[in-house]
Amino acid sequence: MQKLSRRKSSSRSGAASGLAELQRAITGALMKPLTADEEIQPSNAAVAERFIKPNDRLTALERLQIYSQQYWWRLLGAFGEDFSGLRAVLGEKKFDRLATAYLEEHGSVSWTLRNLGSQLTAFLEKNPKLTEPSTALALDVARVEWARVLAFDEPARKVVAPEKFARTPADRLRLGLQPYIVLLELSHPVDELMRRLKHTEFSAVSNAVAASENHKRARVTVRRSRQPVFLAVHRLENSVYFKRHDREAHTLLLALRDGATLGAACETAFADTTEAPEQCATKIREWFSRWAEFGWFCEPARR
Amino acid sequence: MPANRFNAFTAYGVGIGLRIPHYDHILGKKPAVDWFEIISENYMVDGGRPLAVLDQILEQYRVVQHGVSMYFGNAARPNREHLKKLKALTKRTQTPWLSDHLCWGSVDGRFTHDLLPMPYTWEAVEWTARNIREVQDFTGIPVAVENVSSYVEFHASEMTEWEFLNEVVERADCGILLDVNNIYVSSKNHTFDPYVYLDAVPAHRVAQIHIAGHTKFKKYLLDTHDHPVLDPVWKMYAHAIARTGRTATLLEWDDHIPSFGEVHAEALKANNFLPHAKALAA
Ligand SMILES: [Fe+2]
Repeated sequence: MQKLSRRKSSSRSGAASGLAELQRAITGALMKPLTADEEIQPSNAAVAERFIKPNDRLTALERLQIYSQQYWWRLLGAFGEDFSGLRAVLGEKKFDRLATAYLEEHGSVSWTLRNLGSQLTAFLEKNPKLTEPSTALALDVARVEWARVLAFDEPARKVVAPEKFARTPADRLRLGLQPYIVLLELSHPVDELMRRLKHTEFSAVSNAVAASENHKRARVTVRRSRQPVFLAVHRLENSVYFKRHDREAHTLLLALRDGATLGAACETAFADTTEAPEQCATKIREWFSRWAEFGWFCEPARR
Repeated sequence: MPANRFNAFTAYGVGIGLRIPHYDHILGKKPAVDWFEIISENYMVDGGRPLAVLDQILEQYRVVQHGVSMYFGNAARPNREHLKKLKALTKRTQTPWLSDHLCWGSVDGRFTHDLLPMPYTWEAVEWTARNIREVQDFTGIPVAVENVSSYVEFHASEMTEWEFLNEVVERADCGILLDVNNIYVSSKNHTFDPYVYLDAVPAHRVAQIHIAGHTKFKKYLLDTHDHPVLDPVWKMYAHAIARTGRTATLLEWDDHIPSFGEVHAEALKANNFLPHAKALAA
C-alpha cells in the first residue's frame, strides 16, 4: 500500500501527550460504576462526545457503554469467583453493593485479576456498614478466601530435609515456612462454612431444574465459635486445603516464620501451658512429622 | 505466511487455545494437537497448579505464548516487572514467537483488563511502535501484534485502522497476528469493507492467524469467542490464506467452552482451506 504522508509530529520524547489525555479521560469514564440498570452513567456523555464518534446506530455514549459494561462485568465476575463464600454469607444484593464499592476504590493494579482481592480485608475493616450485621463473619470469610488465592499459586521453595533439622540442635535451628501457607486466627469456623457451601453448590448443580437459580441464592452462615479457630490455608499436590491447629501449634508456626529458633518458638508456644513437658514434646514431635510430610519447611528467608 | 522471520521460521499448522476445562482431557488422553496457544498472563505466576500443568503440556506439545495485557498502545513504557516475568516464561515454553494486541488498556497503573482500540494518530503510531520494539528487544523473541475488534472510533484518528497497522508494523519491524474475526466484527461496527482491510495487510509479515466466533446484537457485533466460527469469517479466512499462504492458525474459544473434541474439530475445519492456499502459493 501507499505510504501515508506524515502530517504533523505530535509525539514528544517524554509521555505521549494527546494519547495520554485520551486514555486517561476514557478510563476515568468507563471505570465509573454503572447505574442500577447496569447502564453507563449519563454524566459520562461529555467525555464520550469529546473523544468518540457516534455512528448511524449508536451515540458516542452508547458506544462507550459497551466498554464500561464489559469492564464492570469482567471485574465483578472475577471478584465474585474469588469470594463466592462472602457472596453466600451476605446474599446477592449486599455482595454486589460491596463489590462495586470495593472495586471503585481498589480497581485492578496488576496485569492479572488474581490480585483483585488483595485489599479487601482492609476495606471491610474500614467500611463495616457494608457487611452489617455479619461484619465479623464477613471479615473471617474474606480472610480465608484471600488466603485461598495465595495458597493456590504462591511459590514453593526447596523443602528442608527432615534429617537436616533432626541433626541441628533446637536452639540453633531456624526453619522457614513455605510462602504458600497462610496462618489465620478466626472467630468463626469458616472451614466448615466452606465445606457446607461446596456441598450446597454441588447439590444445586445436580438438581438439574432451576439449578442456576438455586445456586445463585444459596446462603450459608455459621455461628461464632466459643474458642478462636486456628487455620492454616495451604497447598498439597496443587490443591488448596484447610488445616486446623491448636493454639500452640499456630503460635509455634508464627514464631518460626518470624525467624525464631525452634527452641525459642516452642518456648513461646507453650509459655502458658499446664501440660507436662513430656506431653508437650510428644505433641511437637507429632506436629513436626506431619508438617514435614506436607513439605512445609524451607530455608528461612534471608533477613 | 509460511515459515518467516516473524514466526521464527516455523511451519505450524492448526492449533487451539489451552483452556482449564480441557486440562484433564489433554493430560489424560494426550490427543494429537499440532500446537497450543497459552495466555501468557495465566502462567506468569510463581508456583502451583498452573505451572505444574504447563510443564506437563510442554513435555508433549508445542506451545506459543499470547499475551493480553502488554498494551503496546499505552501512553507509557512497558512495565519492567511484567517484561521480566514474560521473558522468564518464554525460557520455560521456548515459544518461537510472542503475540499481544495492538491496543491500550491501563492508565497510571490502573488496569481495565480490556483491549481498547487506538486512536489512529501519528503520535500513537510512534509510541506504539516504540513499545513493540522495546518488548522485542527485551525478550529477544519476534513479536506479532494482533488487530483487535472495536466498538468505538475516535475523532482524533488521522488514518484508517489498516493504515495504522501498516505504519506501526513497519516502524516496529514486527509481525502480525491477523485476527480475521476481529476484522469482520469491526467492519460491521464501523461500516467498512473487510476485504479492503484484508488486502491492505502486508502478507509477508503475517506470523499467525486467529479465527473465532462472535455474537450479533441489535446494534453491534461483540467479539465473544463463545461460538463456532461464522460463515462470513471462514470466507475471509480463505481470502486471507490465499494471500499469505499456509499460516499457523488458531481457533479462540473462551466462553461457554464445549468439550475438547468439539473445539478441536471446529479448529480443524481450517485445514479445508489450507491445501488450496498451498496450491496458490506454490
Ligand atoms: Fe484474537
